Parts: sequence; C-alpha cells; structure tokens
Amino acid sequence: MKISLKWLNDYIDLHDYMAKPQELAALLTAAGIEVEGVQNLAKQYENVVIGHILQKGKHPNADRLTVCQVSTGDGVVHQIVCGARNHNEGDRVVVALPGAVLPGDFAIKRSQIRGVDSGGMLCSEAELGLKEDSDGILILPPDAPVGQSFAKYMGLDDILFELKVTPNRADCLSHFGLAREIGALTGREVKFPALKLEESGGSTRSVVKIELRAKDLCPRYAGRGVKGVKIGPSPAWLKTRLEAVGLNSINNVVDVTNFVMMELGQPLHAFDQRELRGGKVVIDRANKGETFVTLQGTELKLDGTELTIRDGERPVALAGIIGGKNSGVQDDTTDIFIESAYFTPAAVRRTARKFGIETDSGYRFARGTNPEAVRLALDRAAQLIQEVAGGQIMGEPHDEYPNPIVREPIEIRLSTLESRLGYPVTAEDFAKWMKRLDCKVEPIAGSEPAWRVHPPLFRWDLTLDVDLVEEFARLHGYDHIPERIPTFAEMPAEHEQSFVLEAKTRRLLQGEGCLQAINYAFISRSFQERVLGDLERVRTTGLKTTAEPVAIVNPLNEEINVMRTSLVPGLLKNVVHNSRHGNSFGRIYELGFGHFRSVSADKKAEYVEESRLAFAFWGAPEDLWRKNAPAVPVVFSLKGAVENWLRGMGIQKFRWQQLNVKTAPEFLHPGQAAVLEFEGKPVGFIGTLHPTLAAELKIREETAVGEFNMDLLMNGQPRSPKYKPISRMPAVDRDIALQMPKSLPAAEVEAEIKKAAGELLREVRVFDVFEGGSLPPDQRSVAFRMVFQAKDTTLEDQKVNELRDKVVKAVTEKFGITVR
Amino acid sequence: MDITGSMKEKIDEIRAQAVSAFEKASTSKELYDMKVQFLGKQGSFSALMKEMGKLPPEERPVFGKLVNEAKQVLEDLYGRREEALKEQELQARLASETLDMTLPAFAEPMGAKHPVSIVIEEISGILARLGYSVRLGPLIEKDSFNFEGLNIPKDHPARDMQDTFYIDDEHVLRTHTSPIQVHVLFNEKPPIRVAGVGPVFRCDSDVSHSPNFHQIEGFCVDRQVSMADLKGTISFFVREFFGPGLKTRFRPSFFPFTEPSAEMDCQCPICRGKGCRMCKDTGWVEIGGCGLVHPNVLKFANVPYPEWQAFAFGFGIERMAIIKYGIDDIRLFNENDVRFLRQFSL
Repeated sequence: MKISLKWLNDYIDLHDYMAKPQELAALLTAAGIEVEGVQNLAKQYENVVIGHILQKGKHPNADRLTVCQVSTGDGVVHQIVCGARNHNEGDRVVVALPGAVLPGDFAIKRSQIRGVDSGGMLCSEAELGLKEDSDGILILPPDAPVGQSFAKYMGLDDILFELKVTPNRADCLSHFGLAREIGALTGREVKFPALKLEESGGSTRSVVKIELRAKDLCPRYAGRGVKGVKIGPSPAWLKTRLEAVGLNSINNVVDVTNFVMMELGQPLHAFDQRELRGGKVVIDRANKGETFVTLQGTELKLDGTELTIRDGERPVALAGIIGGKNSGVQDDTTDIFIESAYFTPAAVRRTARKFGIETDSGYRFARGTNPEAVRLALDRAAQLIQEVAGGQIMGEPHDEYPNPIVREPIEIRLSTLESRLGYPVTAEDFAKWMKRLDCKVEPIAGSEPAWRVHPPLFRWDLTLDVDLVEEFARLHGYDHIPERIPTFAEMPAEHEQSFVLEAKTRRLLQGEGCLQAINYAFISRSFQERVLGDLERVRTTGLKTTAEPVAIVNPLNEEINVMRTSLVPGLLKNVVHNSRHGNSFGRIYELGFGHFRSVSADKKAEYVEESRLAFAFWGAPEDLWRKNAPAVPVVFSLKGAVENWLRGMGIQKFRWQQLNVKTAPEFLHPGQAAVLEFEGKPVGFIGTLHPTLAAELKIREETAVGEFNMDLLMNGQPRSPKYKPISRMPAVDRDIALQMPKSLPAAEVEAEIKKAAGELLREVRVFDVFEGGSLPPDQRSVAFRMVFQAKDTTLEDQKVNELRDKVVKAVTEKFGITVR
Repeated sequence: MDITGSMKEKIDEIRAQAVSAFEKASTSKELYDMKVQFLGKQGSFSALMKEMGKLPPEERPVFGKLVNEAKQVLEDLYGRREEALKEQELQARLASETLDMTLPAFAEPMGAKHPVSIVIEEISGILARLGYSVRLGPLIEKDSFNFEGLNIPKDHPARDMQDTFYIDDEHVLRTHTSPIQVHVLFNEKPPIRVAGVGPVFRCDSDVSHSPNFHQIEGFCVDRQVSMADLKGTISFFVREFFGPGLKTRFRPSFFPFTEPSAEMDCQCPICRGKGCRMCKDTGWVEIGGCGLVHPNVLKFANVPYPEWQAFAFGFGIERMAIIKYGIDDIRLFNENDVRFLRQFSL
C-alpha cells in the first residue's frame, strides 16, 4: 500500500522526517510495518520552477524559434530558446533549469541553439510527464507564484512509502491508522480534523428507509443523504492526494469516498438515490439464482449466501465489495445516499474470492475494519462532498448498530511476559506501551503484577496474552531479546528413515559419478502421457501408474498441471535441455515421488506417494585415454551404477529380467530393456530410450533411463554388511567358451554354471562375447571365466578339471549348446 | 720361441681382441654376445684351455694362471661395461618414456548432490547437534493440516499470504513445511525437537519465485521456551552455517502460527555487513521466519498450553543456497544443467 508522508502530516506532525524519510521507514520496519520502498516525488522535478516570461523575441537564425527572457524570481533572469508557439510575454510558465532531469531521463543542460545561448527549457505537459502528448508548452494561471518549485506548486513535494502491511494489521491500511501507529511508536500527538456538519437538506430517513436483516453479516449499517450535488471533476488537492497513493480520479463524489477510505480505512459507497427503488435499502443475503451486474459490467450469478445491499426490488451492491451498475453515481446524479458500514470479514472475503473480485474496499473489509469509525467516516464524507460537489447534507442519518460489538479484555501477568520473552521487564514499561496503543490497562491485585488489558476495537489481532507479549516486544524493540541456547534433557529421537536412506543414496550415487537432479513434483499431463505410452507395460515393471494423474485445480500453466506418476518424463526434459545446450554427456538421477489418488475407508479422496529413484544417462565422456576402447552401451553404464547402488544399500540378491517387444515400456528400446527383480517382485526397470522418442525429443545422444520403486527396494533397511571369511588358499581359473543362441540370456547359463560347479566356485563372470565371423547369424559365443577356490585346501588341477567338465556337461545338456 | 711364449702371445691376442670387442659393444645385448664368444663355454678361452694338454706338465700351471688372469681382467671389464651400458640404456628408456604430465587425467566423471540437498543435509546436521531429528511428511496435504491446524482458518486473510495450489476441496499442495509440525504434535510425545524438511509449493512464479521450492523448519516443544531461546538457537545455526562472527537480528513480523513472530536476518556472509549486491547494501540478509508457536496450534493437536510451549523457525533452502553459493538465477535449481550440477561435487 502506498502512503503519502504529506498526507500523514494532517494527523501527526512529521515535518522533521520529510528530509530524512529513511529514518521513519526504519522505525516502522523495526516495529513490524515493513517499508519496502521510499519514493521522493519531488526528485523528478528538481530544478523545475515557475517562471515569468518578461520578454519574447525572435531568434536571429531560425524563424520557428523564439528567444525568451524568463524571470524565476529574486531578479534572476534566464535566456531560453523555445520552439513553441503558444506562449506570450507575461505568461507564467514551467522552467526546467540546467541540472533538471525530466521524466524519461531527459537531462537539461546549458546549451547553444543555432548560435544563441539557452539556459533551460520551457516545458510542455508531455515533457513533464503529466500527459501522453501536448500541444505547446504549459501556461499556468497568472497567479502561479514565480520562483516556486513546480513540485510544490503541484502538491508533488511529497514522499511515498510502499508499505507491506501484514494481514493482522488491517488498522494500518489507512493514513490515519498509520499515523496512530506512528503516534504509538514516537509518543507524538495524533489528531483527526474536527468535523463541521451543516445538516440543511432535510431528513435522510424520510427519503430512504433501512431494513437491516442480515445482522450476523452486517453488525452496523449507517447512511446519510446529500442532495443537490453537482457531479464533476475533483479539485486539484483531491486529485493529487488520490493519484499520489495510486488511485485514479473518477468524479468528485466517488473521489471523496475513496479519499475517506484512504484516510480512515473505512470503505464507503455512494448510491444515486433516485435509483433506490421503493425508497429503501435492505441489507440481506441474495436470493438464490438472481443476477447482479457490477459497476464494471460483470454479470454475477448469486447463490444466496452472498450479502447484498438491495433496494425494494433488486440487489444494488455486493456488500463491501463492489457497487451495482444499476445504482452508481452518474454524471447527472443530484441526490446521493452514502453508505458506511461494518461487514464481517469472513463473509466479504468468501464472496470476493468466489467471484475473484479484488477491490480496495473488499480488501479492507476482509481484513477487519473499525466498527467504531463507521459514523465518523460517513460524516467526514458528507462534509467533504458538500465541499467539493456542493449540495445540502441531509440530517437524521441512519445508524443501525443493534448489538454493539464488545470484546473481552485480555489478562496478562508480568511473569508470562518475561518468561515468553526471556528477559526481565518492568511493570511500568509494559503499562506505558499498552497505553500508547490506546489500550485501557487495569491492574489486577495479587502477588505479582498482572493486568486486564482492553485493546481498542480496531486491533482485531489482539485477543490473547501472547498477542500483548508481541506488542510489547516490538514496541520495546526486538533488539532487547538476548540469546540463549536452550537445554534439552531428552534423548534425541531418530531421523525419519527415508531421509537417512535418501542421504545414503545420494552419497553412493555421487560415487558413481551421478549428478542429482531436482524437478518440479508436477508436470505437463500431455507430455507425461506421451512419454509413458501403454501404462500396463509400466505397471508390470513394478511401478504404480494411472491414466488419471492427480490434477491441480488451479495450475499456473499447462506445462505443470498434474502431479508426476513417473520421474522419467521430467528427467527426459532435463536431457533435452542439456542436449540443446551442448552437454553431450551426463548422468543424472532424481529422488522423488509418484502421486496417486486412492479412496479412504470412509469413501473420501486420499492421496498416496510412491517413493522413486530414477536415472537418465546419455552420451559418453570424451576421454583421451579411452578413445580406442570399445564403446560401452550407455544402458550398461546405468546398469553398473544401479548395481553398485544396490550393493551399497546392502542388497546382494537381485535379478535382471530381459524385456522384449511385447513387454518393454513403449518409451524403451524393446531389445535393450530389463526389469529388476527383488524379493520375487518387479521393482523397476532400465533401458535404452526408444529411438523414435529420442528423435521426437531431438535428443541426439544415446540415452538410457531407469526408474525404481524405493518403497519396495528399501524394505528391510537398514541393511548392514555381513562379513564373510576370505580364503587364503590359491585360486584357480578355468575358462569355457560356449556357442549359444543369441536369444539365450547369459544370466541363465551363469545360474546353471553356479548350480553345477557347487560351493568351490568362488565367482563366475562373462569375459567375452563374440558374434559374427564363422558363427551362424542367430548364434554367439559367450566366454565364462570361473574362479575356483577352497576355504582351507589347495585345489588340485585334477579336481578343478573335473568340476569344469561337470559344468560343461550340465550346460550343454540343459541348453543344447556346444563348447567352442 | 718356446711353447709357453707362443701360448702367451695367443692369450694376449685373444685378450686384446676381447677387450676391443667389449669396448666396441654399444648395447648390453651386444656386449653379452661378445662375452659368450670369448668367455662362454664354447668361447675362445675354453678352446684355448683345450690346448693346455699339448703343453708339458710343468708349464701347465703357468699357462692356466695366465688364462685365468686374462679371463679375470675380461670379466672385470665386462662388469664395468655392462653397468655403463645398462645405465645408458635405462636413461635412454626413461627419456623415451617421458609423458606430457599436463595431459588430461584419466578419471571417472565426478558425481554431485544437488545444492538443495547439500544445504538440507548441512542444516539438518547442524540442528542434529542440538538434538533435532528430521521429519518429512506428505506433499499433498489436508487443508486442515496446512491451514486450520496452523491457526489459519478458512476465509482468513492470512490465506492470501500463500498462493495455494488446490488438489480438491480438502487437499492442497503443502505451501510450507509447517504442517509437519502438526503431524508431529499428533504423533509424538513432548518434549520434541524435530526439523521438518522438504518441497513446498506456491502458485506463484517470477524471476525470484519458483512454484516448487524447499524449506526446512526447526520445531521445539518443551515445558518453557522463550524468544531468547529461539534467538540463541538461530544464532548458533547462523554461525555454524555461514561462518563464525556473524550477527543475527530479529524483526517483528506476522505468521498466523506464531506469536510473537519475527523475521530473521543475519549479517551478510558475502560482505560481512559492509554492504554489497547480495544484501542490497544493507549489510543484512533475510534468512527466514520464526516465533513462539501460537497456542491455537498446540490446542488443535490437543497438546495442553501453557503446560507445553513451543518455538519454530524456518528457512527457504534455495534462499540459503543463493546466499551461500552466490547462485544468481533461480531457474538453475530445476533446469538440471550438468554444467551447474557439476559445480557441487563437494
């Protein structure tokens, strides 16, 4: 909210701060009213003053230019070359002297124009930033004081504060309210101008009747007529005030209602009295299904919960939010009815939010206005309307306040104050600051100092003793709070396990050369659908999925409109970004969630999270030392990282199951994809990105992705390593090369080897795979190296050869394959 | 000429040939070949020894001695030559094996944690020293836990402070980590010290706001807690996280779930209070919000107040990373550009 320092001076003397507004800003900020910006309006008109054209002569070298002698008072005369045609000797004009910087960073310098010295510029309204464009220079009225600064003349010698008022401080949403706060902080006197009301227009009640029906939503309603007003533009002072705080001037009557709102924080509404059918105003809930057209012409359908202001037939205003098109002040309005009321905050907020209507009025009512200022604001407005629009103020105003609001006092003990703040406070200090806030303070007799504190009604935020603790602390100064480390006698609890496991995962994957990515938890529904394809195939890899992802009711945009069901689409977006930026190699992973809707026992919507770990690897590192080595399929780098991570998590037993063209998720290469099985269940997959999708995404590098169900994989955690004795006996190798169909997975042969070799086999691994050459096209040769070792004896060659033969026999018989 | 004389001449001749050959050999291999030729079993001296039988018996010892002397001289010469040649060859090999040690290393690429994780782990580590343990909590949160349980009733203007993503009438994407406090109050027995951590969401996006960012929030429930306890805790945290000697400042503020409430500032870690771009020349940077937990929050979870009291303090993780690492563009946090991520291989 914008606050004018000049305006504040109407209620509290702050002239000393005009030259040092930063100090006042700091004072307010330290008290919790954050000043986000300070703007000196006069600054843009520095060195711009009112001048008097003493003499206007022709320019010797240019027909269209004149040379003027311009006085700026005190006998100072400037020679100024001017290109305008509308000025004459004797005119009062606006002079920008050298040093001035006009709007648009237009710096005025002493110069020569066509050989004639010119010490400044006579300004047009456009050059002063007052209008879009203008014809000729600005000629001021003949009484404009020569030599006065233009800023002061225009009332722009002002300083504006941009305030960030927290929702609890509705009382500071006006100039008088802020003046009252500054009064409390500084101890300076705060005064509201005395009212002088001449009620000469007859009785309000005889022309407009009031029926206050919805007393629960409108505890107080006041109104007064002013008749015979002449609608027209506002006087300069009023325009200047409103424009300074960012409001547009509309007409004199509406401007006054806005002025009083910005002055007292009480929103008002002016009705054209002739439009109030049946001569009455009814404050009641809407009729279900009726329509209401706002001042701005928006048609709203009412459902009966909204509080409306109505005449004998129809709604004429959405209470506290916006007036109706049917009853507002028109150019030819003569008799008006001014409304000043207290509407309950929740009702106003609910309605305003439902229709998405944000007004200054609704904003203030929703935060809580001052019911005790209703009548003051009404009378202030009536008086000002008469001043600026003429007419006669009508007497016998309405003021329905059937159940005046009373609030319970707050009891507080000094010991509470001290224990919550953590430092000693004197009773006198506390009472002093409470009184500064306009609280009534009654001491309670007893063994320790205690009070019954009655906060003023406009401080809706003060209801508990802790509220007073904060009030005291902020006024006294937060800098008084000392620093102390609290002791904790209890044994600390454990971290939540998933946090520990995720931290461990990050550590392990850092060792695998993986970079951790973090994407938004939401993504584009259409992109996610496009990537995942047939969901049944995703589901069989052990990941939950759904065609109806959890949607966000009010997404920022369509790129982030549903919660993720898989982390892969987000990671692919990252690969696209990297690929586009020339990062042709990367290994990223993400820890996150898939979100899903489910239904609770009582049939309500519930949401479940499935914890996920996903990867995207692309390209190969450009490496001088590896340039002659055969390229590793990217998906095998990924497989290695996943296996090392699994082992790091203490998971030794797992199995990869080859997927195929019928089973692989559609975003994967059907011949380069596998499911991970753990404890007999699928728990995720790895695979090469399908070339069609890669091309569609314009990913040039070979890319592999994987995603795992952490909830299933983290079953049984934490797993700590179990030591197995190592043998000190010599180990003996035996290699066998097997010619076998390409369709036979090596892992199956390996499993059979282990089974046949028995416990003396320490390890077996594939060390060579060969295709082509003299082999038939559907065959390949796979070479296994077996390492035999006994726990406590040296193995004889003969024994090892027997074992090898046994293995060969077993695998050749089982799979019908041959030894090469 | 007697026989011995002619044999001696022969010995000298062979010896001279051998010396010359040994001297001439330019590699240890060549030298060794010469050694075999002269001193080997089939070599010149062996052949000479075979002729010893032709000598009269009394001359044989003299002859033998002469041969052995010559062989000894040659063995010595061989030894010296071999050593010299081997050294020469070693030097040549070493010279030929010289590598440009400024060439790139052979290394697996380094991995890295995301800076958000680094900050989370660091902060939770500092808080763990004070007895806080980490709690997570759901991202899709009940409206009542995100708002009402935190003293933000429906139709309260404080709801405007947090632009909320709605999932349905009763669920939102959590707008802060504070609902974790509510879960903890329901599920655990005081005294409690926990740190709620994780992603949070605001329906708001511009150059300085991301719709999905991270927070960490300390929450302490005990018999009696004060603003002084809170300030001491935060000061400890600031010095541990940003470095020793930095001051902490509280400014009054408003959060519905704390009373009194404060914004926390710390002296700018970049300029140490002198004024710089990071702190917009104020010498202070805003690091988060804190306060004594509002009695209504404890009451919502059936924790009796004032028998139990609490304080809470929260930080924006990205904000902390921005201050600590000087990151100047929030888009970097979610683009996952490897050139950015690789910088955090700490």
